[in-house]
Amino acid sequence: MSWIALARERPAGSLWPGGRPLVLGFALPALLLVVWQVICLARWLPPYILPSPVAVVERFATELADGRFGQDVWASLSRVLKGFFFGSAAGLAFGLLLGLSRWADRLLGPLFMAYRQIALFAWVPLLSMWFGGGETGKVAFVTLSAFAPVVVNTWRAIRAIPDPLNELGAVLTFNRLDHVSLIALPGALPGIATGLRSAMIYAWLATVGAELFLDIAPGMGGRLNEGRDKFEVDLMLVALVVLTGLGLLFSQAAALIERRLVRWRTR
Amino acid sequence: MSGGRRGTLDEAFRSWPGRAILGLIVPVLLGVVWFVTAQKGWLPEQLLPSPVAVWQALADTAASGDLWTNSLISLTRVGEGFAIGAAVGLILGVVLGLSRRARELVDPLFLLLAQVPPLGLIPLAILALGVDEAMKVAVIAWASFIPVVLNVKQGIGDVPRSLHELAEVLTFDPWYALTRVVLPAAVPPIFTGLREGLANAWQTMVAAELFASTEGLGYMITLGRQLFQFDMVLAVVLVLGVVGLAVNGTLALVERRLLRWQGQAA
Amino acid sequence: MKKQLRRRFGAGALVAVVAALAALAAGNAAAEPISIRFGYPGVGADNRPFANGDIVAVAHAGHFIEDEFKGDPDITIEWTFFRGAGPALNESLASGHLDFAAGLGDLPAIVARSNGLQTRYLMTDKVRDTIYLAVRPDSGISRIEDLANHRLSQFKGTNIQLAADRVLAAHGLTERNAKFINLDVGGALAALTGGSIDGTFGSVELLTLRDRGVVNIAYSTKAEAANFGRHQAVYVIEAFERAHPELVQRVVNALVKAARFAADEANRSAVFDLWAKSGFPAEVFAEDFSEERLANRLTPVIDPYVVARYRNLVARVREYGLVRRDVDVDSWFEPKYLDAALKAQHLEHFWPRFDVDGSKLTDGEVEKTQVGSR
Repeated sequence: MSWIALARERPAGSLWPGGRPLVLGFALPALLLVVWQVICLARWLPPYILPSPVAVVERFATELADGRFGQDVWASLSRVLKGFFFGSAAGLAFGLLLGLSRWADRLLGPLFMAYRQIALFAWVPLLSMWFGGGETGKVAFVTLSAFAPVVVNTWRAIRAIPDPLNELGAVLTFNRLDHVSLIALPGALPGIATGLRSAMIYAWLATVGAELFLDIAPGMGGRLNEGRDKFEVDLMLVALVVLTGLGLLFSQAAALIERRLVRWRTR
Repeated sequence: MSGGRRGTLDEAFRSWPGRAILGLIVPVLLGVVWFVTAQKGWLPEQLLPSPVAVWQALADTAASGDLWTNSLISLTRVGEGFAIGAAVGLILGVVLGLSRRARELVDPLFLLLAQVPPLGLIPLAILALGVDEAMKVAVIAWASFIPVVLNVKQGIGDVPRSLHELAEVLTFDPWYALTRVVLPAAVPPIFTGLREGLANAWQTMVAAELFASTEGLGYMITLGRQLFQFDMVLAVVLVLGVVGLAVNGTLALVERRLLRWQGQAA
Repeated sequence: MKKQLRRRFGAGALVAVVAALAALAAGNAAAEPISIRFGYPGVGADNRPFANGDIVAVAHAGHFIEDEFKGDPDITIEWTFFRGAGPALNESLASGHLDFAAGLGDLPAIVARSNGLQTRYLMTDKVRDTIYLAVRPDSGISRIEDLANHRLSQFKGTNIQLAADRVLAAHGLTERNAKFINLDVGGALAALTGGSIDGTFGSVELLTLRDRGVVNIAYSTKAEAANFGRHQAVYVIEAFERAHPELVQRVVNALVKAARFAADEANRSAVFDLWAKSGFPAEVFAEDFSEERLANRLTPVIDPYVVARYRNLVARVREYGLVRRDVDVDSWFEPKYLDAALKAQHLEHFWPRFDVDGSKLTDGEVEKTQVGSR
């Protein structure tokens, strides 16, 4: 989603430009926080609808002290990683198949493109039915979300390998495995890396979604749900802030991995 | 990767009807397997509704008019949300793309806001805006807004200096320069942003409708699930695919037209 | 160079395959002893895994079933409480994750059966349960007729929906007359508090909301002479019943024991306290059951009245368009376990039995006790 575009931004380390830009960058958020606090002080909205920033920070501290946060973050993280791993592995395999085999491309390609049209969240009820609403169902949903981006990018990247390179393999009489390991994979690595990065981001979004739509269990999405049910807006905001922070971490990590992979290939 | 086999077979399947047929083989095969599995009852009916039941569900909702009403409502929501989000996003993206000052001021906040999962915003949006159209359109608009801004900003920023300088040399006034030189040059990234924004809008619409709704395609899925009618759920999922295809296809068509026009003008 | 790379990739592939196999093996870990898996369609306040208002809640909170199987080390009892109520429970039932649906409501049970889910109705869990209509004070709704054109919530697919639909129908309305948003119990409470909806149908949880001043109770089926209440029952998956009929019998025995305890007016306070484990104060249960004998709702019998009720509900369900296929009611009921349990515990005449039209067929001993006054 939007995180694709976000991560494609080239300015390296743009978060900390240093110097005057740094101060300027903080100006707007700081202003907004002040306005928020003023609105709360002036009681334009009842405190149970919009808690003040101070109240949110207090709640955050309470929850942190409570200790459950660690468990929740860990639970969410484990789902993301599991789903990402399975989805990317399957996606890589399928993407390789579509990219390397003309027949697979013609036979399976259109079906896959059609499948892609279906909004991800539409699968929630069916997955919940087939895999249950517990861990398995959640990981299944995350796996599904990571699958498509990896397939698309791998497929495209392999197709984009220039013909001369492919013909080189034929000239050197490479067998299938050699071709894949020495020409296809390295050649497609940047594209694959982009796919993995997208998959990471989608997987995180799917984790949040899965926790919101499926059974109650430890997890940050679950805390958001809890806040919603108990009508505790401060908890909702805390959960949202933590989710945002984790999302930031993920997109940065994903971009880092992509850069590393590309650098490794061009070594 | 044997180069020798490229012959008439490959040629034939390069043509459009040939490719269509090839593309349909596997889906048709799967459909047959599905039908047989359901007939023989190898999987319980609840886990895998038979294609006949799914077709029946589709026919029922189409006949009763529910399918069309709900599809229209979902499309309208996406349309409204996307229009608002894309319009605001375009404007902001152009401003940010052109002004480095603006970028310094807004970028860090924007980067942060872009990380907020739209799904996580929905419960808060419900509190602020209720469960009606306003909430859904607002969330969809937000989800479309972000990628449009990011891509337009990048696209405008990438327009080569030489083009800007050319406009200066030809003493174009700023508005003319913007609309006749800069924007057209940035059309591909702008459309990338629009495409991503639309994809976002679509996904968010379905998620928002799953959350709290009284009508729409997502609502139909929820209702089917609550009433244990998984043939209905599957039918609507397929409809979503078709509608999604139509919507994305339309945007792709518009993009192609625009690019062709741009190419001709250049 | 080529050999090096090939070896590296080959090793990598090997590691991946081994890892996958190991993961698979770990997943299908040790062979377990028999686990009897119960599902309950609902959760307590704050999503805690406790129930209230019926026999099963008493059985769970009072560990009646666990006591029954105390002496069997290789049998474990598992409880799952579904926030998504009946619909969510049905999904687990259909995908083979549950053996018993303890306390499943009438609508979800009918819906599941109409879709081919093979269950057996073992005993009743609750009948004639009251539902309430809670509305925001500023909504201007004071009677059912006022509901038209307002925004309400409804937990679709649960027996609340069916009971509400019947109330609406009796007052000349249908679901289409108002906007019904699908929200679960927690969502409905939050929406009422936040003002996103004007009202909702529900159960005792609405009474606590009224006590906090958030809503008024505009209507309740308690006073109605007609049968607007909702029902719950205990079901078993046919496959489990065929495989372990003796376990089914023992489960029913334990549940009947719990029913005996729950229907006894002498235990009135104790029952409310057990239900209070779900996070609602005992007072709301006392109010819900005010001037009503516990045994009026907490009865496990399968009598002509119950069968007729379900047959009637099936007709309603088709009429409201909630189900698209016919439901066979007659072959659903399996009273033999219940009868055996009642006989063994000398309770055949403890509860009254009613006829198709609600008139009494046989008296029950429990009616001789006086209604408690807590």
